[in-house]
Amino acid sequence: MKTNLHIHPSETFNAFMLFFIIQSAQIGVGIQGFQRIIYQDAKHDAWISVVLAGLATHIIAIFMLKTLHLYDSNDLYGIHQDVYGKWIGNFLNSLYILYISSAFFAVMMNYAEVVQSWVFPNLKTWFLVASLLLIVVYSFTGGLRVIVGICFFSFVFSIILLPVLGFPMKYIEPRSLLPVLEADMSEIFKGVKSMTFTIVGFEILYVIYPFIKDKENVNKPLHLGLFLTTIIYLAVMLVSLTYFSGEQLSKTIWATLTLFSIVKFPFVERMEYIVICFWMLIILPNLCLFVWTAYRGTIRIVNISAKKFVWIFSFITFIASFSLTTRIQINMFNNHFSRIAFYTIFVYPILLYVVAKIKNKVNKRKA
Amino acid sequence: MKRILCFSVLILLGISLTGCAEVKLLERVGLTTLIGFDLGEKEDVETTAVVRQVGTNLESTVSIISAENETTEGTGSKINYRTAEKIVSGQVRGVLFGEELAKKGIGHYIDTMLKNPTISDGIYLTVVEGEARPVLEFQYANIPEIGEHIYKLLKQNIQNEQMVSSTLHEVAFDYYTVGRDIAIPIIKRDQELVSISGIALFDSSKMVGTLSVEDSFYVKLGQENFRAGRNEIIIKGDDLPSSLLPTQVDEISIVFDPIKTKKKVKLVNPEQLEFDIHIKMQARILEIKQNINVGQAKNAELLEKAINKRLESEIGRVIAYSQEVGSDIYGLGEYYRSVVRHSNLTEEKWHELYKDLNVNIDVDFTLIRSGVFE
Repeated sequence: MKTNLHIHPSETFNAFMLFFIIQSAQIGVGIQGFQRIIYQDAKHDAWISVVLAGLATHIIAIFMLKTLHLYDSNDLYGIHQDVYGKWIGNFLNSLYILYISSAFFAVMMNYAEVVQSWVFPNLKTWFLVASLLLIVVYSFTGGLRVIVGICFFSFVFSIILLPVLGFPMKYIEPRSLLPVLEADMSEIFKGVKSMTFTIVGFEILYVIYPFIKDKENVNKPLHLGLFLTTIIYLAVMLVSLTYFSGEQLSKTIWATLTLFSIVKFPFVERMEYIVICFWMLIILPNLCLFVWTAYRGTIRIVNISAKKFVWIFSFITFIASFSLTTRIQINMFNNHFSRIAFYTIFVYPILLYVVAKIKNKVNKRKA
Repeated sequence: MKRILCFSVLILLGISLTGCAEVKLLERVGLTTLIGFDLGEKEDVETTAVVRQVGTNLESTVSIISAENETTEGTGSKINYRTAEKIVSGQVRGVLFGEELAKKGIGHYIDTMLKNPTISDGIYLTVVEGEARPVLEFQYANIPEIGEHIYKLLKQNIQNEQMVSSTLHEVAFDYYTVGRDIAIPIIKRDQELVSISGIALFDSSKMVGTLSVEDSFYVKLGQENFRAGRNEIIIKGDDLPSSLLPTQVDEISIVFDPIKTKKKVKLVNPEQLEFDIHIKMQARILEIKQNINVGQAKNAELLEKAINKRLESEIGRVIAYSQEVGSDIYGLGEYYRSVVRHSNLTEEKWHELYKDLNVNIDVDFTLIRSGVFE
């Protein structure tokens, strides 16, 4: 277990902050338009898929924690190196970094697209991406504790948006949910699978775990965070399912934002414009946490300073952003990413736990 | 030092970011407040836009511009050719459809509006008796801006629940729901005013019939539970027992406003398609055009019975009419879908079924008060 990490106490944070981290890492761009994707699979039973996906995150989180408990203070990258040896471990680490980087990329490109479709149709993608990257670089260089701070604000902002859902609720038709369970189980599970893109982010636990000061208190904030995310998704899903009629929902790309377009205040005519700009603060912790995760992995493979890393990372992302321009391309990217993410976050943790456990037993016997 | 430099670069970038977006200064754009669509003479659609231009001294001028083209967005650019300011649609409050166009179908327009992010889901859609353009172009003596006026007219009546609601969202909801059809207000020019004159019924996207403006009460009653909305009904003298009235009359008028209504729909027979609609209503009487003392329990009960009967027959008439024209404004198909598992309902299938289904209406009217003077 030579891969154990020694984190300086000044870099650690209290376990209860995990609640905000998990919640803000999960809620990002997915929530803007996950409804129709799930609806296409599970029809008006889509909310059941949301609940089941939420449940799945709890189970996976338990497996993640169990894996992490096998070690004193280590992250996924170290576990990889320990379990599979240096070479295979580093290979898997690079794959994981690649996965995290594509998550970062997906969040950014989807947000850029929303801004372009709703607010500034003539704004160039590169400009938006560059500005976002600069903000990310700025916050990233502040260190993990700054990122955790941003998570807290992101949490507050996403909670503020919830009451606004009350406006569309004036138009809901609860009967749309009936008859319950008209979709069969396979369709509902397909919906669960489609939830992946929306629900990713909690795998951050794998990497952030060593930085928690009081590791024995991890359970509660972790599961509360996951639970809150599920509740938010469920609320948004239920309102969407009853507010839109089926075909309308399956044609609405960003159903959550369209929900906001009926909101009208005496001082703001078009709420969704504000919401979209607001959203940058909601995705900012996502982006920061993803870069940070990628950074933690990279330093296990090559020796690089944080500053250097973030600039190189940003530059590569910036160049890559030129490759996606149309809705169809972005959609395709999302679909591919979501498929990979499904195996990475829902299947792999269980597998890793089994392997790590066996390895652990073998080690003990040797000793 | 380095930090300050970094920060100032960020701020500079922020400023240039706002410069990058398209600037829409109020004085430099024409705000479209209302759009009218008619069937074009030569091409597919004629769009009439009510455009408001705000000057630097906050004075505003209103111009009505129309253009014809194959597509609605095409008319938009044609309208732009005729104005000094760029036309923007972020402040659109309402859309009017000419009658002929509505009869041909409005589905495409709903679709196009939903696509456009600058158009809010809260705008009102209406049908105009005849054509939209003359209604907008007419020089009303007391209406400074026709766009705002029509919006307020609709908004006021819809919010007071005197008229069926017709926001873009609700119309789109009805349009995309299988087993539910659109019902939206009709307006017309009434001398120097614009007035709501009825309700247009649609068979999916085509307008197929109209109901009078008085019937909006019954349409709303079947559609949702509501609170306000004054209504006048006329009860035939024969329906009232002679003990209630000192002298025999042909008919009496009663005005009441429902405090609370509750609608229950039940599919009693899925094979034969028979629905039970049970409406519970609590109301207060505002006016009776005959001196009936409703303070007495016996009188009130008799009156309630007569009102029940009248309401039942009126709702029955509205349903029968909607069945005749093939427009399921009460969304009975939606009920069918939500009750019958794996119904695989399609629009065609439902309209086929809708024509022959049976509806039993049962109204339970309770008089809760009748003002402060007996």
